Amino acid sequence: MVAETTVYFIMAISSLISVVATYLAIVEKDLVKAVIYSAIQSAMYALLYYLLMAPDTALVYLPVAVGLIPGVLLVLIGKTERWEKDAKSS
Amino acid sequence: MMVEFLNNYFLMIVLASLLANFVISLYGIFFKPHYIKKVIALMIFSDTMNTFAIYIGYRTWIGGKNPRPPELTLHPSSEALHEFTLRAVDPLPQALVLTAIVIGLAVTLFLVFLGYTLYMHYRTLDLREIKRLRG
Amino acid sequence: MQRAVEVVVIISLVLVIALLLLLASEYLLPSESIRLLASFYLYATYNPSLPYYTVNSPQAVTAILWDYRGLDTLFETAVFYLAIIAGLALARRLYEESLREGVDLSKSGLSLIVKTVARLTSPMIIAVGASIALHGHLTPGGGFQGGATIAVAPMILIVVFSTLFLIKRGVTSDRMLFIVSLGLIGIGLTAISVFLIGLVVGRFAHVFQNMPKLNSPIGMPATIGNILISGTLWFFNLFEMFAVATGFIIAFVILMLIKGRWEVK
Repeated sequence: MVAETTVYFIMAISSLISVVATYLAIVEKDLVKAVIYSAIQSAMYALLYYLLMAPDTALVYLPVAVGLIPGVLLVLIGKTERWEKDAKSS
Repeated sequence: MMVEFLNNYFLMIVLASLLANFVISLYGIFFKPHYIKKVIALMIFSDTMNTFAIYIGYRTWIGGKNPRPPELTLHPSSEALHEFTLRAVDPLPQALVLTAIVIGLAVTLFLVFLGYTLYMHYRTLDLREIKRLRG
Repeated sequence: MQRAVEVVVIISLVLVIALLLLLASEYLLPSESIRLLASFYLYATYNPSLPYYTVNSPQAVTAILWDYRGLDTLFETAVFYLAIIAGLALARRLYEESLREGVDLSKSGLSLIVKTVARLTSPMIIAVGASIALHGHLTPGGGFQGGATIAVAPMILIVVFSTLFLIKRGVTSDRMLFIVSLGLIGIGLTAISVFLIGLVVGRFAHVFQNMPKLNSPIGMPATIGNILISGTLWFFNLFEMFAVATGFIIAFVILMLIKGRWEVK
């Protein structure tokens, strides 16, 4: 009884942290910080995959979305621009 | 009674947070003008749909024991197989989600190269500027 | 301050929507039994009493990926390869891969401590990735997982040393393209291997076949000696690992070498 509630509680905490990280990633204007927030969200999703008994998917998701894709995006930001300008009316 | 209410409520929190991620990333694709922000929002969107597919394959706890991942660890006798099919999680959504993750990754890699070509051509990655400068 | 208020508003919205969803909870909660197709797959993956339906591999997800639904995985590998080729074609004349003269490689990169740790951990990362890939039919893992793990090691080496360090050691994009193509040819040949053996011997065989079926009694062996290899699954994992790892290396090396906004005037 207590084990089941603990597992569901950790699932709920990790999905709430992922909502916060998604919102901060979309609203942030500094693109480096946005990439870091999206990496935090992917780490929370990998924990969710492990708790939902899908170890193959967690093993794919962890190197791809926490290591390789933020690396590629950071290299692209270094070669182009870093700040997003304000939303002015066009 | 109280324990059952808490279990169901925590599972519903997982579903509601997936729904909130879906809505926020869809807003980010349409209303944010920078190209790299759109790529990040697209990645979050496709990952949320994959998580929803894996959530469908889950199973409840029977008799106080947790459901198992779909692998056989003992020698395949008849009662070991019966226990396995009674407790293991659905393996079919996991295989389909694996393919979907790889295809999303390939699209993201190609979009990164395309963004670099856009920058070299227009000197900016702000899509409103590109729409004004086009041609 | 305003950010904190917005975050609190979003979390409370999620909690209230969860309370509302609880009222419809009959259809949204996980159930106690699974679908008939899933229970068939679970019953038939490693079952010596069903000799024409089994795959002889205790891992159900790898058996579905490479045997029961093998055509999907074949085309997914082709899509990944096409994305790498498209990226290569977009960046065709924008980089050069030769060494500049007068570049002292011992003075570039990060400090000595980081370089020593990177030298120690990169072979370990490659070994763990190969173990994940080659044991894909016994434990969670498989070709794509192992390939993605192996591709983390060159990324660390590029960041800690420099890209020219890798190129001087022989990891150029032409050689990696050669290995990717070899991996894909390997996957294609393994897929039709039983069919070719059937043509040579003179019996009927299917194209994407692993174990002997009802109307084609030849197939790949399930064990070699005492070790379980589950027929074509081991070879698929090996070639997929090579193809995925070198595909990622090509994407990194080209992305690091194309000229950024500081070098083009």
